[in-house]
Amino acid sequence: MSEWLESAIARGQDNQDWLAPKRAQALDALANTQWPTRKTEAWRYTPLKAVERSSAKALDSVSDLTPVAIPNVSAIELVFVNGQFDALQSTKALPTGLTVQLGQDLSADQQAEALRSFSNIKPERHLFGLVNDALAKDVLLVTVAEGIEIAEPLRISSLLSAGAESHTRVLVRLEKGAQLAVIEDVQSQGDSLSTAFVEYDVAAEASLEHYRFALQTGSNLTIGGSHFQLSDKSKMHSTIVGFGSELSRLDTDIIHAGEFADAKLNAMYLLDGKELFDLHATVEHAMPNGTTEENVRGIVADRARAVFNGRIHIHRDAQKTLAELNNRNLLMSNKAEINTKPELEIYADDVRCAHGATIAEIDKQALYYLETRGISKSKAQVMLNFGFINELIDLMPNEALAEWVRPIIRERFAQMEVK
Amino acid sequence: MSNLLTIKDLHASVEEKNIIKGLNLEVKPGEVHAIMGPNGAGKSTMGYVLSGRDGYSVESGSVTLDGEDLLDMETEERARAGLFLAFQYPVEIPGVSNLEFLKAAVDAQREARGEEAVTSAEFLKEAKAACKQVNLPVSFLKRGVNEGFSGGEKKRNELMQMLLLKPKLCILDETDSGLDIDALQVVAEGVNSQRSADRSFIVVTHYQRLLDYIKPDFVHVLSDGKIVKSGDASLAHELEAQGYAWLQTEPAEDELEG
Repeated sequence: MSEWLESAIARGQDNQDWLAPKRAQALDALANTQWPTRKTEAWRYTPLKAVERSSAKALDSVSDLTPVAIPNVSAIELVFVNGQFDALQSTKALPTGLTVQLGQDLSADQQAEALRSFSNIKPERHLFGLVNDALAKDVLLVTVAEGIEIAEPLRISSLLSAGAESHTRVLVRLEKGAQLAVIEDVQSQGDSLSTAFVEYDVAAEASLEHYRFALQTGSNLTIGGSHFQLSDKSKMHSTIVGFGSELSRLDTDIIHAGEFADAKLNAMYLLDGKELFDLHATVEHAMPNGTTEENVRGIVADRARAVFNGRIHIHRDAQKTLAELNNRNLLMSNKAEINTKPELEIYADDVRCAHGATIAEIDKQALYYLETRGISKSKAQVMLNFGFINELIDLMPNEALAEWVRPIIRERFAQMEVK
Repeated sequence: MSNLLTIKDLHASVEEKNIIKGLNLEVKPGEVHAIMGPNGAGKSTMGYVLSGRDGYSVESGSVTLDGEDLLDMETEERARAGLFLAFQYPVEIPGVSNLEFLKAAVDAQREARGEEAVTSAEFLKEAKAACKQVNLPVSFLKRGVNEGFSGGEKKRNELMQMLLLKPKLCILDETDSGLDIDALQVVAEGVNSQRSADRSFIVVTHYQRLLDYIKPDFVHVLSDGKIVKSGDASLAHELEAQGYAWLQTEPAEDELEG
């Protein structure tokens, strides 16, 4: 076992609070878990040496970190600094129908109920999810009341000082027919280690718009999960943008627990240098008549490595399921690496399920052609290859957010070199 | 008058194979030079080396354009300095519209010269006029760059780029290949319309046919990576009559020296 995990378990044992029963379960599971090696399927291409080497540690909350401003997006802010909820920077005046509470502030009855929801959607198999179960201190509970539509997006920011370790956890519940947009974002000053997990319970006819930005590069170790449970006729539309770092790993789970649920997941990643980005996306169709559309697209430069594991599991009763999974990649260098693996498990016989993965190389001839006309290499590259990423940005329901992130992605791409 | 282009004792290789072996050439403003020669002589390589294509490395020698060291520049800088290479096989680029491509090229070059950007409306007008001049339907502006164009349409598209970019030196790499006589005339007329005292051309061709329409001031024979014979337009006719077989029988210079 790794020293890092042993230390995490030891620290977890000190957390004797309202979540103690769940923490104990997680610690038991961790104690019986092998620290992943190359032979561990879920971590086959993603070594955890960086975690073992990490010197990030829990730091006090500091006030000089603030969430980055997004032009034309006025969000309801929920801010964590170094893993602790920062009430001062978080929005206090909440719209009617939206409640945000810290677990430790709940009544005993409410805590008992919250305890049942905690780790109810996030599957137990996620190693760092278990670590998060044990170590996340300020657990936030967000609820949108029945039939309420919240106009402004809710942004959950996890801010980290240099060298900080943090573990944040949020449970979001959309009651029947409720509507909410959530932006998950981690911003760090470097050399950080964070686990950020959010569980979404989307009740019948509710609709969730979701964004997750993993834009930490360099020596930041960013690990997290977004886990969704969909009920009858509920909807979700998720957009994930990932840059790589020494370790950037995201697990998503979409569970169709009701009929006629509709899930869309668009993910894009752009990696450079020796960065790594690993997306494990699992969709469980447990009930009939669900639809899932998953588009995952990436550009990988230099010696960077992308890992995409797309699992779709259609249970025996999930008849009339429509599920599509598509992964497209562009390699910018012959040392870049993409490990893409669709995993379809289909036990129902009346379903439509399609998948595809492509890996293309940058068209050097076309690049040269544009350069001979005076167009700079970086501009030419954007002209030639940004389109397939841009398509996914165009699909973001929040236009202002799309206009914010588009130039950030374009800039990153323009700086990548063809090798 | 000073030279627009000066190539001195240029040696260049592709994948460690020497292709250009001591090329010398001087082009003055307004001149049209034809480079002829058999397959494998290095005609296309010359264009790629001058434009700075990846994988084409210069071993020795020098090239100046307007007194500037051309070999020291990136491909896009060479273009901005006034070099234009019309490709033998223009590249198809689906997903990038011809208009977007042309505007990006013109914008980049204007910006490099410190000129103001043209508005989209102005540019569209110019591009439509250029289309008309090279006999391409205006709808080609909306299509992907060269995507699904016939051979002749691709060559006319090259010419259209030349009209819009107004280079100082145009290298036409076998622009006549794959063209029927009508298309050839359109291209030749386009080129002739661009001849001026401050614009020079290097017309690379295997056949003399194109030179009936674009009258060169000088004709050079390129063989085994260097110019082995130069003359006026009449040399092209000689070559047409004799072919290139005589090159094998006439010993090359270095062999004489050795």
